Amino acid sequence: MKKTPLALLFTLGALSAPSFAADASSLDLVQPISDYKIYVTDEVGKLVTETKAFTDAVKKGDIATAKKLYPTTRVHYEAIEPIAELFSDLDAAIDSREDDHENGVKADDFTGFHRIEYGLWAQNTTKGYEGFADGLNNDVLRLQKQIADLTFPPEKVVGGAAALMEEVAATKVSGEEDRYSHTDLYDFQSNVDGAKKIVDLFKPQIVKKDKAFADKLDKNFATVDAILAKYKTKGGGFETYDKVKDADRKALIGPVNTLAEDLSTLRGKLGLD
Amino acid sequence: MSNPTQQPPRLLRAAVAGSVILMIAAGGLFYYASQVASEKRKANAGNEITVTIHPKSCEPNALTLPAGRASFRIVNASDRAVEWEILDGVLVVEERENITPGMSQLINANLEPGDYAITCGLLSNPRGTLKVTPTAESDARAKARPAMTAFIGPLSEYRVYLNTQGGALVQAVDELAAAIQAGDLAQARALYAAARVPYQRLAPAAQRFAQLNNAVDARADYYEKREQDPAFTGFHRLEYGLFAQNSTDGLAPVAQQLQADVATLKAQLLAQPIPPDQLVNIVARNLHTLADTRYNGEQERYSHLDLSGFAANLEGTGKVIDLLRPLLAKSAAKLLPQIDTAQQKLAGRLAGLREGDTYKPYDQVNDEQRKAIASDARALADTLDGIDQALGLSAL
Repeated sequence: MKKTPLALLFTLGALSAPSFAADASSLDLVQPISDYKIYVTDEVGKLVTETKAFTDAVKKGDIATAKKLYPTTRVHYEAIEPIAELFSDLDAAIDSREDDHENGVKADDFTGFHRIEYGLWAQNTTKGYEGFADGLNNDVLRLQKQIADLTFPPEKVVGGAAALMEEVAATKVSGEEDRYSHTDLYDFQSNVDGAKKIVDLFKPQIVKKDKAFADKLDKNFATVDAILAKYKTKGGGFETYDKVKDADRKALIGPVNTLAEDLSTLRGKLGLD
Repeated sequence: MSNPTQQPPRLLRAAVAGSVILMIAAGGLFYYASQVASEKRKANAGNEITVTIHPKSCEPNALTLPAGRASFRIVNASDRAVEWEILDGVLVVEERENITPGMSQLINANLEPGDYAITCGLLSNPRGTLKVTPTAESDARAKARPAMTAFIGPLSEYRVYLNTQGGALVQAVDELAAAIQAGDLAQARALYAAARVPYQRLAPAAQRFAQLNNAVDARADYYEKREQDPAFTGFHRLEYGLFAQNSTDGLAPVAQQLQADVATLKAQLLAQPIPPDQLVNIVARNLHTLADTRYNGEQERYSHLDLSGFAANLEGTGKVIDLLRPLLAKSAAKLLPQIDTAQQKLAGRLAGLREGDTYKPYDQVNDEQRKAIASDARALADTLDGIDQALGLSAL
């Protein structure tokens, strides 16, 4: 849910430059935007299926399985956050943190992934979490329906790449998001993959406008991916975030912020401001 | 594993409390500074609105401003990192998240006239209101024809629709081919009916590919020797075998070819862009062919499944109407209710011919009913023909 102020300053520069790029070439955006919806539809389908398995484990009291499924289920939400968080109430119900609520972990409306995460890791229990499991399951189904009915706003799709990297900068580098489970690296990778997906879909249009810019984006994505790869485990998962060395945390900040800043100019570059 | 919910040591708590106080103080200072700055900006450009997030409320929490570009300076005077969002129904229009305590952030928005809600800090805080009033400029913009960029969303969504229906068609034809391969006549007939539905939903777009569409949907009359012509293939060759000859004999290669052809069709539907004027033209043309020829039952002459095809055509048309609805509501306010009325009339006519979860066989639909369907389809096609002019599609 959270984003950083860092990239905002740079957004302003892009916004203040009026763009009149609305011409026939704007129809070139139809293919990547529809391909992005196809990708999001696919991801939210996986989110629905895997959330069912995750919440079933919670309801059965199978703590080990629930803990195993928690990070791999969430990645499908994290990858599509630019669209998912357009639905304010659902985003709050599915992905809010305790500090979004006046009464913190005790708030009745602190629900969703992080509420269950709190139960599984901080309290080591699923008892009393059956209702939250059902609620989460219903909410991702509602999200799937809302996404199916949504005509994706082009500027939100293109702006989504920056939004994801801002999310990384604000919540993953600090490790605040998955504070009980420390499974932040799954989300981290997923945010990066989601941003890279958008860049890849719009690559022909970006290259046409600014080849050097496209190359710089690729280079920074590669740097971030290489650091994350160091923490991959044999089973295809990730180490917990507390294992990430200080030097690597610092090494991530540079390319992450540069990506967030660069990507915040994408809307302007593609004539969507 | 460390447990983050343990109580922090007292010294740390004191330090945190101290820094919170400092942050609040800084927030106050910032607030003051930003007020001064905002007064200056107001004198120059106008339109920057300062909103302060307090722990349990926002100030102001009810805003009224003119349509157009607006800047909101959001000052976080609470003690937590919070967000501020402008909502249109359930959808976020603009937002800023993770505003640090004591800091402020600027949100730029280009707002259309209307009533919006505002979220303010903690989720339990009361929501505010934002009323955006029309201006001469926004009125003029509303009356003006939409720009090319306004069609990116609808055209993208239509391509997603073609992908979904194309995928359903490929899968349905695969299943139909398997039933034919197995020689299961009853199952093959049922699956023929099922496969026609996604085809008829995307038929308006498929008809752009003349040759490929002929391979999939040509009737026997297009061939010199009609049903006996070896070149007669596609859906209707299968229909002829399954419903007129009551057999799956010899149909396997035809089904196999149809599998390949619908896979190519799906790929082509995704590969070939549709310009805005074509989006409307193709559905209008599809309805005109219904009104001019297909109403007589020629398309599904062996199976008499015409009505479910017409209903699927209408669904495909309804998709396009819904995608253009926001643009029509703005720029063609008189035309839109006419379109809706015509669409409902045809939908009602078809619904009246339903039998359970299927439709009446078309050979049981009398001449008068058929002519009424044709007339309703023509009326809808005619109103759709008005969209081009109303939205200025050809001039884009």
